[in-house]
Amino acid sequence: MNGRGFWKRCKKHNHDFLKNRSVKKKYLTLLFVFCIVVKVIVMEEKIRQGYLYDFYGELLNDHQRSIFEAYVLEDLSLAEVAEAQGISRQGVHDLIRRCTKTLEDYESRLHLIDKFMHIRDKVDEIRTLTQQDVTDASMGKIESIASEILEEL
Amino acid sequence: MAVKIRLRRMGKKKAPFYRIVVADSRSPRDGRCIEEIGTYDPNQEPSAYQVDEELAKKWLANGAQPTETVNRIFKNAGIVK
Repeated sequence: MNGRGFWKRCKKHNHDFLKNRSVKKKYLTLLFVFCIVVKVIVMEEKIRQGYLYDFYGELLNDHQRSIFEAYVLEDLSLAEVAEAQGISRQGVHDLIRRCTKTLEDYESRLHLIDKFMHIRDKVDEIRTLTQQDVTDASMGKIESIASEILEEL
Repeated sequence: MAVKIRLRRMGKKKAPFYRIVVADSRSPRDGRCIEEIGTYDPNQEPSAYQVDEELAKKWLANGAQPTETVNRIFKNAGIVK
């Protein structure tokens, strides 16, 4: 798409550029990617690793797990973990990176954390609905959220 | 003897809750900490933190080293720049 010609055409036909389908698609995809990136950045790395540990930590072997625990749950620095374990700082760094990658790989296949977060958000929604006065509308909403949750399971 | 300010993960599985603690860098695993100066709750949207500013400033002035994560919280709380 050559930018200038496109804008000219938009002006000429007085089109909103979002009405152009391919542009709309591109625009929305970009927005979507941006949202994901922001979400990942917002969720702090150590918190994320904590969740990964909760869901998939049992899949690490004992050695990996004790180091990952010390780094993620106790918030020790790489150097401190290295000293406690009697290995090099570089070794700890590599191991943490590798473990995080493995666990993220499990997550990308199983999506347990993703599902958990979604369902938790929906349960929160239900909870706020039940705190208000019960009306037919809110009951209907609860019903639809419940079926969404069931679908996700 | 280095003193550190770090997060300690409390709460239960899948429901993290952190305390911000001041601890000696050499005895981290046995759970002893010198003082508790705040909490951090990533479950809420947005994440909620609560820090005792006076204590934090006191420990920072005494040369305690915050970890990266704690530093970010302090920045959000406006305790360090």
